[in-house]
Amino acid sequence: MASASGNATSRSGLIVAAAVGSIFPLIGGYAAYTAYSNPAPAAAAPPTSLTGATADFAPNDPPGEWKSPARDYANTRYSPLRQVDRSNVARLKVAWTFSDGTLYGHEGPPLVVGDTMYVVSPYPNVAYALDLSKPGAPIKWTYDPKTSPIALGKACCDAVLRGWAYADGKLIYNLLDAHTIALDAETGKEVWRTKLADVEKGVTMTMAAFVAGDKVLVGNSGGEMGVSGWLAALDVATGKLLWRAYGIGPDTMTRIGPDFRPYYPWMRGKDLGVKTWPAGMWKTGAAATWGFVSYDPKTNLVFYGTSNPGPRVPDQRPGDNLWTSAVFARDADTGMAKWAYQYTPHDQWDYDGVNEHMLLNIPWKGVRRDVAVHFDRNGFAYTIDRNSGEVLVAAQYAYQNWADGIDLGTGRPIVRAAMEPKIGQKLQRVCPPDIGTKDWQPPAFSPRTGLVYTGIFNLCMDLTDHAVSYIPGTPYDGMEMVRYPASGDDWGGFIAWDPVHGRKLWQIPEKFMVMSGTLATAGDVVFYGTVDGWFRAVDAWTGKVLWSQKLSSGIVSQPISYTGPDGRQYVAVFAGVGGAAMVSADQPGFPARGGTLYVFSIDGASPGSGPGMMVTAAGAAASQSDETQKGRH
Amino acid sequence: MNHLARTIVTGAVCAVLGSGVTGWLVHTDGRARGRSLSLASLSALPPEGAPARVPLGDLAGAAKATMPGRLANPLESDPGAVVEGERLYKEMNCAGCHGYAAKGGMGPDLTDAHWRYGGTPVQIYKSIYEGRPKGMPAWGRALPQRSIWQLTRYIETLGGSFPTEAYHAGLQGDLADERGAGSSKSPAHGDSGEGAGGDK
Repeated sequence: MASASGNATSRSGLIVAAAVGSIFPLIGGYAAYTAYSNPAPAAAAPPTSLTGATADFAPNDPPGEWKSPARDYANTRYSPLRQVDRSNVARLKVAWTFSDGTLYGHEGPPLVVGDTMYVVSPYPNVAYALDLSKPGAPIKWTYDPKTSPIALGKACCDAVLRGWAYADGKLIYNLLDAHTIALDAETGKEVWRTKLADVEKGVTMTMAAFVAGDKVLVGNSGGEMGVSGWLAALDVATGKLLWRAYGIGPDTMTRIGPDFRPYYPWMRGKDLGVKTWPAGMWKTGAAATWGFVSYDPKTNLVFYGTSNPGPRVPDQRPGDNLWTSAVFARDADTGMAKWAYQYTPHDQWDYDGVNEHMLLNIPWKGVRRDVAVHFDRNGFAYTIDRNSGEVLVAAQYAYQNWADGIDLGTGRPIVRAAMEPKIGQKLQRVCPPDIGTKDWQPPAFSPRTGLVYTGIFNLCMDLTDHAVSYIPGTPYDGMEMVRYPASGDDWGGFIAWDPVHGRKLWQIPEKFMVMSGTLATAGDVVFYGTVDGWFRAVDAWTGKVLWSQKLSSGIVSQPISYTGPDGRQYVAVFAGVGGAAMVSADQPGFPARGGTLYVFSIDGASPGSGPGMMVTAAGAAASQSDETQKGRH
Repeated sequence: MNHLARTIVTGAVCAVLGSGVTGWLVHTDGRARGRSLSLASLSALPPEGAPARVPLGDLAGAAKATMPGRLANPLESDPGAVVEGERLYKEMNCAGCHGYAAKGGMGPDLTDAHWRYGGTPVQIYKSIYEGRPKGMPAWGRALPQRSIWQLTRYIETLGGSFPTEAYHAGLQGDLADERGAGSSKSPAHGDSGEGAGGDK
């Protein structure tokens, strides 16, 4: 496997060289690139962003903490820590590990608040508090919410949980059986539990709860089960339901009122969540909400995407099928929609619109525009004015063949008729397949480079649609697929994206899908993992792979970075393949499932571990002194 | 066929079957066509409730299970049962969970020899009829017994099921090798793809 790593590194080098040569002169960043191509952190001049993009890092948590999956409201996943940088990242070694005892796909990140790390498992959604101040980070408390096993058979894409949130002394997260709970972070005791839906009807909850102020926002999964999709706001203190906004149905359900001003005329009108469907079909039309939410505190708007329409077979639901495969901007207090934009009208391939919206501020024709950057599963990356819903940039970031582009005049994709499926007819080589050119796995942004980084897929499918009936609690699906690489045998890749100009700067090809989240750091190192279990650190400027470590299972989780009580910078990531990555499970070399958190530090140092250390009991002081313990106990 | 006609046909078929199939077939797109009742398909079924007497686990106190061996699939010589079972497999959305190739997805692979709840025909019938705790719905209230035996017949053709009399052999793991156990390296890799897979 070591040769695989070396291979990827050398191939990426070639692509970087080509990309740098063609792109940098265009955007005037060449000087910045050359200054940073040879790491010399002590002497380096301040960096010059390659794009001018910036972000608001509210709520401006302490640099060493990580309290929500994306770390900030804008969803940047940028850590301001810089002890680990390009000059020393190759010295990263495992400091300690932790198994949560579960084997479903590990898609969530740990959180770090003060001296405690919090970990929540996939189903059955067991929470742990780990004491970072003690050797080996022993368990402080554990909580098992006894999630109903029936949910296992209702979740389309593995029994996953994409994270949780810390707020007001509580840990808040969704259970697969469609409840949201809050735990006291000190004691691990349940503070409240709110039932959001009926799991017997196929409603599950897999998204990371998102806290904006005194509200927690949660949504449902079940886009393949004919559910009604929604985003709900609960009171952080009590769990009381404050509002619920559906993705389908009349304006009363979708919380569309006089303030709703979509930028494009075809999305204006009364009850479009009903009228863009055959009679009654909206009721099983999905538009579920299982991706990440972002929040702009200046405008008090939340942004989130909606899922595919139900059923997945388009012949059964002529029309645009609003508001599926779309983005909503809503007032956080009322849930009322401010604008919406449908990425893939009448979604015929299960592309969804559910992927994250990263909130950046960019220079645009001489003025600053506040934007949302969105990598859709349909192959296009959108840069959208987040106050108006106007699409500024829609550029292809990975291989697709279903559209000739996005018409920026109308906002609609230019669909190739030959790529539209018909019931009972096998359609060959549609790209991407249902899981898209990138699924939910979130990108990261570095304000130093001005670039956005994300894992991608390089896939196509042969598709046969079957007519389906709605039977509550069973899939309302109908897509029969065979998926395979679009070219060569690389199933994935990792890219750096310029969200201002809509350009890919470099790409690291990967034999396996890249379905992990991305972490960017102030040390100009970007981290990601592969489905076959390689955890990599790359140079944020050039994409050169600086370090790779093979973990025990595939990586489909979200890496974070934090400062321990010992003052060291750590990087943490779960290995535990699952989720949509299982579509590639027949690929030779595909790993077995797992559920282990890996925590890395320079030279693997941490309190109580290392040469000469002997710890005899959890929480006990080390029996021999070590310099890693100085000033600690 | 227009929507109204489809609804009428669907309703008529439901009435003929005398089943508990309810309004969900309103959305059905022509699924009712081709359904016919042959004389063979009217062969006698075991008394209602007989499969319920087949235990789910092994037997305490060295008792012997004789009931399962007597409960063969009553449609095993019905030439239409497999075809009808396959049609039901798609129409009732079994394929949505277990895959159009039955290789698993949200639900387990039905083609291999791993059967948590048993792989003899009556044990498969019971799993369909009763449902199972990890999200397998109970179909005994929605489908007539005959349809469930037809589904069982179809699953029997997929290569992983056990012979009628193999209740104890299946429990004791004696049938795994010859049925290709272990050839499936992942619990979830069907055409519907990404699910939890798990045990059937």
